[in-house]
Amino acid sequence: MDFLTGLFPWITNGPLILIQVMSGLSVGMFLFLVSVGMSLIFGVTRIVNLAHGSFYMVGAYLMVTLVELLPEHSMSFWGALVLAPFGVAALGGVIEMTLLRRIYHRDPLLQLILTFGLILVIGTLVLLAWGPDNKSVSRPEALAGSVRVFGQPFPSYYLVVLALAPVVAIGLWLIFYRTRWGMLIRAATVDREMLGALGVDVATLYTQVFLFGSWLAGLGGALSAPTVAVALGMDGDVLTTAFVVVVIGGLGSFAGTFISALLVGELQSFGILIFPSVSIVLLFLIMAVVLIVRPWGLLGHPEE
Amino acid sequence: MRPRSPRVLAAAVATVLGLVTPSVDLATAQPKPIRIGEINSYSGVATVYTFPYKEGLALATKEINDAGGVLGRPLEFIHRDDKLKPDEAVKAARELVLQDKVDFLAGCISSGVGLAISAYAKDAKVLYFATHCQTSRLTWDDGHPYIAHTTNNVNQYVRVAARKASTLPITKWANISPDYEYGHNMWEEFSTYLKKLKPDVQFIHQSWPKLGESDHSSYITALLQSGAEGIFTSLWGAQSIAFVKQARPFGLFEKMRYVAPSVGNPDELDPLGKEAPVGAIVTPFAWYDAGLQKRHPQLEGWTKKWIEWAKAKGLKDPQPKLGASWGYASAYIIAEAIKRAKTTETDKVIAVLSEGFDMDFPWGKVIMRGCDQQALPPQWIGVVKLDAQGKPIATEIEEIQGKEVVRSCDEVKELRAAAAAKQKK
Repeated sequence: MDFLTGLFPWITNGPLILIQVMSGLSVGMFLFLVSVGMSLIFGVTRIVNLAHGSFYMVGAYLMVTLVELLPEHSMSFWGALVLAPFGVAALGGVIEMTLLRRIYHRDPLLQLILTFGLILVIGTLVLLAWGPDNKSVSRPEALAGSVRVFGQPFPSYYLVVLALAPVVAIGLWLIFYRTRWGMLIRAATVDREMLGALGVDVATLYTQVFLFGSWLAGLGGALSAPTVAVALGMDGDVLTTAFVVVVIGGLGSFAGTFISALLVGELQSFGILIFPSVSIVLLFLIMAVVLIVRPWGLLGHPEE
Repeated sequence: MRPRSPRVLAAAVATVLGLVTPSVDLATAQPKPIRIGEINSYSGVATVYTFPYKEGLALATKEINDAGGVLGRPLEFIHRDDKLKPDEAVKAARELVLQDKVDFLAGCISSGVGLAISAYAKDAKVLYFATHCQTSRLTWDDGHPYIAHTTNNVNQYVRVAARKASTLPITKWANISPDYEYGHNMWEEFSTYLKKLKPDVQFIHQSWPKLGESDHSSYITALLQSGAEGIFTSLWGAQSIAFVKQARPFGLFEKMRYVAPSVGNPDELDPLGKEAPVGAIVTPFAWYDAGLQKRHPQLEGWTKKWIEWAKAKGLKDPQPKLGASWGYASAYIIAEAIKRAKTTETDKVIAVLSEGFDMDFPWGKVIMRGCDQQALPPQWIGVVKLDAQGKPIATEIEEIQGKEVVRSCDEVKELRAAAAAKQKK
């Protein structure tokens, strides 16, 4: 024990450990919200949507505009939070119907090039529409402060996210396992040709999935907006993290994404205490280990 | 004397006219402009800084040219986008020099880009004015005659911040800086200078989030438990805003004194609004400060002129930001060097720069130091406060001259010798 306390002086500091657990949880919940849409889209359409981060960014920028446009009211933040993801979903729908639909059966490399091109196009359009200056969304008045958790101040907005992310996860589970639409989506991830042969309109299903995935990206962006700067470049930062989370969890598995997001959040949180100087590589270290042990990710399935 | 025949007279007139005509041509045609290839990041994340900077260059260039140009020739900047990539920048530099035949190179916001252009300039023997990036390596460790740095370097404003920190009743310091060269460089400079000024300080906690990290919660909770009384940061831009927004509800800024050079600039203070870290020590260009305007009587007039110019040019935020003043000053410093050399010949302009000169700007005197061809502008330090309308501003502005804190010419020599020795190994 003496050896341990010498090495990690924080180990007897109960409140610190608990608060690190909490902050790791909130990091994980944000990670889940921003990455689950990417996993969903890949699971069904087999497209690695590199523009996922761009959708997240558009969600955050729409949040800025909507909060400004809506009349000043304690509920306007929540109104914007509901509307912004639908704006992103509409954008995703248009992109799916005009561009992605044409390349589902093409070489995966072409798909990557197309979605990479979308990053550049959307980034430039955002610069033209909103200008280069950093923007920000304020937290709603009631959630601007903090509450005491284990005697430590903890931001109340994070508590809302901590509650909301599991709601989204449960909602997704209900949709996937308790609705006909969810059943079709699960079927499409297994064998889309067979599904088509059975008379299901697969093209429409793909559009719906892409809309839904974009909506989730927009929700992630809108929810994150008050905790970050809404600025050019947020697309790239989020893309890397989301991609790693999705790969660790197993591409296409939303339960895997949830577990992986929590795992990454907590490991990062304690990695900062244990090896502060290597926390930058920690995320990729976890990915490397998982890929060596289970190349298809925690809950993914090996490709036949 | 016999009168000359009309034929001879006609021939004489023709000859005279023939001689005169070209000089008439010279008088009416535009003199050849002095062309400067300017490479900077004009798309993507850096545009928040480079758009005002570019307009600063443009405003000064227009003023210089309206007043008759330099050596009777207009100044012309040819802009290229480096996309924040050193190899793109070098490609652009080569094209500008070989195809566009520019007289000089200028530009950079990323230090990596600046160092890459500088290395090219050294090889190609073209004079390069680094106008926007800030690493001290440009003119110090990696310095050479073919580079001049027309703006602040990191060393000056970090030392000003460290000097202020040394006056606080704080001994336990923590650091949170982005994990790349700039972040490490900033912390190294801050901690060594602070230790020199106040030997009893302790550095008890360090955290290095990656550049562009969006969620700092776990770093913040660890900082809170570290027992530090002061935090230094070199986070900047969007990441700095995100950190402040995330740290504030944890009560970090009430528990610890925050020393954050970049947070005092309007690019960060304005989006933060009421969430700004009140009490933070910053190194801003506070053009709105009454004390600064009193000290520099021309500042107010320049500010008005800038705002009009920026609005006419369609900048979404027409405030005079640091970048605007740097662009403006850079154009004038380049023009002055050419004027003093009385030619655009590279060697002669370098000779002028290596002697050094001073220039007055609406915000004070900028020294171009000869030994390292490095600009030493006035530095400011202040404290963040909310004004009566609840808008965050930097107040209690103190002005410190760069030359008071910056490493001396002898120290620069040592740095260069050490760098050269390292390269030999």
